[in-house]
Amino acid sequence: MAIVERLIDLILWPPLFYYIIFPGLIFVMIFEMFLIWSERKIAGRVQMRYGPLEIAPRLAGAPQLMADLIRYALQEVIIPRTVDKLPFVIAPIAAFVIALMPLLVTPFSPTFLPVTTEGSILIAAALTTIPPLLLILAGWASNNKFSLVGSARESFLIATYEIIILLVIASMSFLYGTLDFLKAVEAQQALLWGIILNPIAAITYFVAVMMGTSRFPFEIAEAESEIVMGAFTEYSGIMFGLAMGISYARMFVYNIIFVLLFLGGWSPLGGIVTGNYILDSIILPGASVAIKAVIISLLMVFTRAVYGRYRIDHALKGGWGFWFIMALVSIGLSAAVVYLMEVF
Amino acid sequence: MSQQSQILTRRIDKDILEVFIGPQHPGSGHMRIILRVDGDIIVEAEPDIGFVHRTMEKLAEGREWVKNQPLFERMAILDAANCTLGYIMAIEKLLGIEPPPRAKYIRTILAELNRIASHLYGMGIFAILLGHSTMYMWFFGDREVFVELAERLTGQRLTHSFFWPGGVRRDLPSGFKDELEKGIKYFEKRLKEYEVMFLKNPVIRSRLEGVGYISRQKAAELGIVGPNIRASGIRHDVRIEEPYAAYPELDFEVPIYKEGDALARTLQRVDELRESLKILKQAVNRIPEGPILHEKYLKMFTKVLKDVLETEKRVKLAPALFNLRPPKGEAYARVEAGRGEYFYYVVSDGQNKPYRVRVVSPSFRNSIVFKYVLPGHRVADLPAIYGSIDYFPPEADR
Repeated sequence: MAIVERLIDLILWPPLFYYIIFPGLIFVMIFEMFLIWSERKIAGRVQMRYGPLEIAPRLAGAPQLMADLIRYALQEVIIPRTVDKLPFVIAPIAAFVIALMPLLVTPFSPTFLPVTTEGSILIAAALTTIPPLLLILAGWASNNKFSLVGSARESFLIATYEIIILLVIASMSFLYGTLDFLKAVEAQQALLWGIILNPIAAITYFVAVMMGTSRFPFEIAEAESEIVMGAFTEYSGIMFGLAMGISYARMFVYNIIFVLLFLGGWSPLGGIVTGNYILDSIILPGASVAIKAVIISLLMVFTRAVYGRYRIDHALKGGWGFWFIMALVSIGLSAAVVYLMEVF
Repeated sequence: MSQQSQILTRRIDKDILEVFIGPQHPGSGHMRIILRVDGDIIVEAEPDIGFVHRTMEKLAEGREWVKNQPLFERMAILDAANCTLGYIMAIEKLLGIEPPPRAKYIRTILAELNRIASHLYGMGIFAILLGHSTMYMWFFGDREVFVELAERLTGQRLTHSFFWPGGVRRDLPSGFKDELEKGIKYFEKRLKEYEVMFLKNPVIRSRLEGVGYISRQKAAELGIVGPNIRASGIRHDVRIEEPYAAYPELDFEVPIYKEGDALARTLQRVDELRESLKILKQAVNRIPEGPILHEKYLKMFTKVLKDVLETEKRVKLAPALFNLRPPKGEAYARVEAGRGEYFYYVVSDGQNKPYRVRVVSPSFRNSIVFKYVLPGHRVADLPAIYGSIDYFPPEADR
């Protein structure tokens, strides 16, 4: 019996639980599997076909991604002779890990968060900017023309969407008067959800995240018919699997931030009190945040069924010419809201 | 000496990157386009064709006349009826015979079914090159309607081998007219949905408008054919210029566009789909009664062959057709296929095999577009131009 108790203790040991189970690796993996499966199912529905089906038809092909992952894991990892080995190997792994790191500071309930800090919004925003740099590194290290072109496109896009995302996050923390997610959510519970207070910021953030995570119509850095697989052309096996997962992991993290800043965080389920600590502080608010993030993510992946792919100059023109200005406008709107709150 | 320095290299200008699109690139067909890019702008493009060259013209000299039909179908397997019809018509000219009217109408129906299927195939590839996976699936899914109608008529989805010199192999099956009309009705409804999803989609339009512009004069100079030249404002269509099969008796228009860009070529194909539907409707309603094979061969039929023709309404492969020996001479035939004009030139020396068969296929004539239209565009415009001219490498290489 002692061993079982020890095991339960070990699983619930905060560092392990936070980083491995929730909201760490396992939760993100399950989320990614669900998201990719539903993306393919929804696209299949629109496109007059089934989507994944053959693996477990009774579950509508849900374990498809598991099968894919097993295949990737068992496949030979080919490292071409001409690549710069160290950065080539490090880049996708580091990008995946760092893509998940903002979860360290994003709270899933008022009491459940791995790292307590006053500047959690700042840290999360800073950490989300690192993985794209590693994508550029991957393309640079690959020593392949298509990878290089993919990296160049990615670097053009980074300059566009990162500034927009950071400006929008700045406008929201300006609105709430804090750099802490906890206080931002509390402010929304006291007043209104951020998406109603500053809808321009919400829409701008949504589009910029689509641009940043290679969703259609901004799937430019990996455009298959033009540059094969962008920066990841030379990757194979589990490294390719990781590379495929990076954009989904980043989208998930961005959408957690979206939920915390714009959609009221853990309300309404977070307010329920049942008396059970785990249910009250982890499951109900966590589920509330996760479900909202999933819905936003599904909206983002659904655009695959409707749009084609923009040319990079169109995307940059749209980014700098329209959405950048919208991000500035959202700061102005935040200032107006703050002023109005002062007055009334 | 290290291994890398042994590779042959060729000097190119400073700051120019040479990119090989194909033959294993996901965005190319069985061909290669060698691009020299300055930043994101293409400064030079060389279409490098010949990766699927199968020496068809030479192979044709070693086979009996009718046996070449399955061979030539392999040029454009999705447009099989149109690309072999020219060959059969050339043989008929050598033999000095004309197919009976009913056979002509059946030929027209199959040719138009193939044209629709071919256009839908090309546009499906086009859509996926632009990253629009839904339209890719829709075009290919709706193509199935016409492929299955062709299967109902000929017994084969793609490689029909349906034409004999002097006629066709099967009569219209019972109930074909209703099925065809059902298919046309369904497709007319779908055309409206394409407009919303693809033709008026802002992202797609921004990719196509003004891209890959070919002026009227340039189109004539390059000698491109098919929907591509019509989208540049030249009304070049063999169905009008040198009518064959039942086309002179049918009422249809050849749409043209003046813009000459990728969008015009896309809209051109959609308009041609509409015209094809119109032709199909008329042909299936006006089709006359009568034999489906020239009476010269019907006379030579044995009793068994006649029985099969009467009961099953199909022509068995008769020795009379198999051992054709056209008289000495030469003949040509032109046909408007999905991608443009097919030209066949055949020479007979009186044997049961052709002395020479020359084929000029539309994709071969369109391939020159890459060299003269790509420079000045961005790399991302390559799929838009490649897809919009509907280039099909196996057809070009023969």
